[in-house]
Amino acid sequence: MKKTDRLIEAALAGDKLSIARMISLVERGDDQAGRILEKIYPQSGGAYYIGITGPPGAGKSTIVDRLIHLFCVNGYSVGVIAIDPSSPFTGGSLLGDRIRINRDAFKEDVFFRSMSAGRVMGGLSRTAKDASRILDACGKEIVIMETVGVGQSELDIAQATDTIMVVVVPESGDNIQTLKAGLMEIGDIFAVNKSDRAGAEDMASSIKAMLDLAPLKMDWHPSVFLTAATLNQGVDELYEGLWNHYRHLRKEDRLKLRRKNQLRSELVRKVDEIVFESLRDRMNRDENLDLLLEDIWSKKTDIYTAARNIADQWKAGASGKHGHTDEMS
Amino acid sequence: MAKLGLDIHWRGVLLVSQFLKDAGMEVIYIGNKFPEQIVEAAIEEDADVVGVSTLSGNHLTLGPKVVELLKAQGMETVKVFMGGVIPPNHIPILKGKGIHEVFGPDTPMQTIIDGIKTAILGTDPPTG
Amino acid sequence: MPGKTDKEACLFSEANVRKIETDYEDWHKNRLREEDRQLDGKYFTPSGIPVKLIYSPADIKDIRYSEDVGFSGQPPFVRGVYPNMYRGRLFTVRQLAGLGAPEDCNQRVKYLLKHGATGINILFDLPTIRGYDSDDPEAEGNVGYCGAAVDSIDDMDTFFADIDLGSISTSIVTHLPSTSLVIPGMYFGVAEKRGTPLQKLAGTCQNDFIMETCVGSAPEILPPPVSFKMQCDVIEWIVKHAPRWNPVSYNGYNLREAGTDAVTEVGVAIANAIATAEELINRGLKIDDFAPRMSFFWDLHNDFFEEIAKCRASRKVWYKLMTERFGARNENSMRMRFHVQTAGVTLTATEPLNNIVRSGIQGLAAVLGGCQSLHIDSYDEAYSAPTEEAALVSIRTQQIIQQETGVVNTVDPLAGSYYVESLTEEMTHRIFQFIQKIEDMGGLVTAVENGWLHREISKYNHTHQKQIETGERKVVGVNYMKAESEAACPIEVFEYPETYSRQKARLEKLRKTRNKEKVKSCLEELRAKCHSGDNLFPYCLEAVKNHATLGEIEEAFREEFGLWSFPLMG
Repeated sequence: MKKTDRLIEAALAGDKLSIARMISLVERGDDQAGRILEKIYPQSGGAYYIGITGPPGAGKSTIVDRLIHLFCVNGYSVGVIAIDPSSPFTGGSLLGDRIRINRDAFKEDVFFRSMSAGRVMGGLSRTAKDASRILDACGKEIVIMETVGVGQSELDIAQATDTIMVVVVPESGDNIQTLKAGLMEIGDIFAVNKSDRAGAEDMASSIKAMLDLAPLKMDWHPSVFLTAATLNQGVDELYEGLWNHYRHLRKEDRLKLRRKNQLRSELVRKVDEIVFESLRDRMNRDENLDLLLEDIWSKKTDIYTAARNIADQWKAGASGKHGHTDEMS
Repeated sequence: MAKLGLDIHWRGVLLVSQFLKDAGMEVIYIGNKFPEQIVEAAIEEDADVVGVSTLSGNHLTLGPKVVELLKAQGMETVKVFMGGVIPPNHIPILKGKGIHEVFGPDTPMQTIIDGIKTAILGTDPPTG
Repeated sequence: MPGKTDKEACLFSEANVRKIETDYEDWHKNRLREEDRQLDGKYFTPSGIPVKLIYSPADIKDIRYSEDVGFSGQPPFVRGVYPNMYRGRLFTVRQLAGLGAPEDCNQRVKYLLKHGATGINILFDLPTIRGYDSDDPEAEGNVGYCGAAVDSIDDMDTFFADIDLGSISTSIVTHLPSTSLVIPGMYFGVAEKRGTPLQKLAGTCQNDFIMETCVGSAPEILPPPVSFKMQCDVIEWIVKHAPRWNPVSYNGYNLREAGTDAVTEVGVAIANAIATAEELINRGLKIDDFAPRMSFFWDLHNDFFEEIAKCRASRKVWYKLMTERFGARNENSMRMRFHVQTAGVTLTATEPLNNIVRSGIQGLAAVLGGCQSLHIDSYDEAYSAPTEEAALVSIRTQQIIQQETGVVNTVDPLAGSYYVESLTEEMTHRIFQFIQKIEDMGGLVTAVENGWLHREISKYNHTHQKQIETGERKVVGVNYMKAESEAACPIEVFEYPETYSRQKARLEKLRKTRNKEKVKSCLEELRAKCHSGDNLFPYCLEAVKNHATLGEIEEAFREEFGLWSFPLMG
C-alpha cells in the first residue's frame, strides 16, 4: 500500500521511472492497478488528447516524431502511447514504433511508451486509455495515441481522444475506396503524407470531396493537409491545424460534450467488463457446466434457453448452481 | 533490443527479436541508437532486459556505457545482454563492467531465450 | 527457353537418349533399394532446386552445345568471358585491406602487395561507409574498426603513399551511391595531383543503392529513389571521364549475407543493372557506352555445385539480357565480369581453423565458376578484421589454387557435367523468373521502397535459423559434432583505438588550414544542385579537391533529400 502511494506520488511529480512502472502495473492488471487509477483520475483531464491512426506504411511514426518535436519546441510536455494490436495469441510481440524516434535523449520533455496486446491483461483499448490518463495526470500536456488503423479496437482507441488525425499516403489506383470506411468517418484532420509522390494532390482533393458530402460533427469541417514528413514539409501547417481543432472544441463547451459522451461509453463498457468478467468467472468455475453442455448437445435443451436461464439466475442473485435438467424437463 | 551506434548488420538482431517474440516476450526493437537513447527507452518502456547487438567493434566503448547509465537512472536491476561479433577475450572485460551475458556468434537461439528468461525470473518484481 | 525443335543440334541423339532413359528406369527400379527410392525428391540445393541422386545425359538432352553452352569468350559466354581465361590472365588475388587510420591501411596494402596480391581492395570503417567524419558523434566507438577511416582527400593521399596509382587496379569498396559520389573523387583528385591522368586509372567502386537502403540499417538512410539516382550519376560521369574504371559493382555478396538465396542474389543485382540501364538510356547514353563497365560481385557460398552453376548461369542471363532486351552490339557489353568473395556468413567463431577449409573450398568453386578476381575470407573474420597471419593464409590459398591444383589450365572444366549443366539451365530459368517478378512489381526501386525485399530477407533468415536450431541444417563444430569443451581460441584480435584521436586531430587541422570560403561555396553549390536533376559527381569532386570532408558532403545530402524510414518491421 505504502509502496504504491510512494510510487504514485513520484509519478505525479513527473519521475519517469515511476510513471513507467505504474503503467506496467496497470498493463499487468496488478491488484494495485485499481487503486492507482482511482488515485490519479482526479489529476487527469488537463491534457489535449490526440489520436493518430491510418494504414500501415503511411509514415505515421515520422509524423508523430515531427509533431513531438514541434510541441516540445513550443514548450509543451508530451506523452505518447504507440499501440500495436498484433499478436494477441502467442503473447509475444515485436514492436518497432521507436525506430523512427531519433531525438537527443533526456533533453526533451517526452514520454514514449509502446503497448502491445500480448503484454496487456485486459483489453488493449481500455489499457491504452488508462495509460494515457496516467500520462495526463503526471503532467503531460499533450497525449498522443498512435495506432495502426486496421481493426475495430484501433478505431476505439482513436475515439478516446479529442482530435483524431488520419494519415494516409497516395498510392497508384483508386485509393480512397480502399481506405477502411471507419477511418474516413472518424477523422477530424487528414494528412496526406509522402506528398512528394505522384497522386498526393488528387488524393487530397478526393478526400475533401468526400468530406464535403458528409454531415458535420460538432460543426467541424475536417481539414486536409499535404505533408512530406521526412522532408519536414507541411508539418508546421499540420501542427497549426491541430490547434485549430482544439480551439474549435474549446468554444461552446464542445470539448466537454465530446468528453462526456466518451465517458458515457467508457462507463458503460467498464460496467459491462466488470459484469462480464464476474459472470464468466463464475460460469467457468461451475462444475455443472459440463452436464449442461451435454444436455444442449443431446438436444435435451437448446442453447438459447440455457443461456437465458443462466442470465436470469445471475440476475436474481442466485449463487452456485445454474439451471439444470430439472428446469428443462 | 538495439543496434549499437552505427552498426549496420540487422540480420542477427531481428532474428533474435523474432525468436524471443515467438517465445512469448514483448520485444521493443528501437533500431540504431546510442547508449543514452537506449537507456531512455528502457526507462519509458519499463524494460526487464536490454539487448544490444554489435558486430563492428564498438562494444568496449559503448557497451559498458549502457550499464553505467542504467545504474545512474536507478535501473540497476535491468540486465544488459550483448550479442554479435565480440572477441572471447573481451567477454570477461565486459562482464566485469556489468554486462550480464554475451552471446557470441553461433549461439543457439534456445540458449539466448533461456538466458534471458532466467535473468528476468531471477530478479525481484518492480515496486508496487 | 529457345526452340527445342532443332533436335539435330542437341548433344545426344534421340535414340541414345531413349536408351539411356530406359537404362535409368531399370537402374532406378532394380539397382536401388526401396529406402533409396524413398529419398527421391527429398534433396534440394539451398535455393530450392531439386537434386537427384544421379544425373545422366537424359537430364540435359535438350541442350545444344553451341547455342546454350558454347566456347569461352564468345556468346553465350557461359563457359567464361575471355577465350583464354586463366591461361591468359589469372584471376586477381584481391584481398581486402581495411583497418585503422589511412597510414595503418597503407602498411597493410603494401604487405599484401609484397606477398603476392595482384589487386588492391579497400574497405572503410562504418562511419566512412555511412558518410560521417571520424569526429562526428554518430561515429562514436566505430572509428577505425572493421575498416579504414577516411575523411578527406588528404587521408586518401596518405592511404596510397608510395603507391603508383597508374600501375595498379584498386577496388574502392564505397558501398553506397552517396559515398561513391565522394570517395572515388578523392582518389581521382589524388591521382590528378600526382600527375596521373584519369584515363589511366583502373579500378572499381561499388556504388550499389541496395547497400544503402536494404542491406544495412543505420540511423539515417537516404530514400531509395535518391540513392538510385546517385548510383546512375556516378556511372554516367565515370564512363565519360575515366574509361578504365568500373563505376559499379552490383553487390550480390552483401545481400546474400543479409539473408537470401543464390537466385535472389543474382536476380536483384541484375534487376538493378536493368533499372540502371534504362535510366542511363533515358539520359541519352547508348547501352554500349556503359554496359562494358558494369561489373558484379558474388558471394561464394556453401553448396559447391550450386555456386558454380550460379556463376555460369549469371553470365548467360546477362548475355541474353544485353542482346535480346537492350540490343547491345559491343561484345564487351555482353561479358559479365565478377569479383567473388567467399561467404563470411558461413564462417564460425567456434573452431576457427575450420574456416580455412570452408573458404578454401569456396575459393575453389569460385575459380571453377570463372571469377575475374577473388577475395578469400580469413579464418578469423568471425571475430575481427583479419590479422596479417590470417590474411597471408588467404593469399596462399589463392596461390595454391593457381599454381598447384591445375584447375586453371583448362577452361570451365565442369562443363559437360550432367549435374552442373542441368543446374546451370535451371538457375538461368529461375533468375529470369525472378527478374520478371521484380518487373511486375514496378521495378527494383519500388520493390525496395515498399519493403518487399526487406520482408523476403526477414523470412529467409527466419526459416534458415529454424533449420539450424532444429539441426536440419548442419554447421560443423556448432550444431554438428560440437566439441565437448571449448578449445582455447587461438585468435589474436587487433585493435586500432588511436585511430579516433589521430583522425580527430587531422580534421581539426584541416578545418583550420583549408580555404573556408571556397569550401562553403562548393557545398552551397552542391546543395543547390541536389534538386536540379543534374549529375552531382562533378560538384562533389570540386568540393573534395577543396578539402570538404566526406561528412560535410553527406550531411548536405541528408538535409537536402530527407531521410527514409527503413521498413524493417513492415
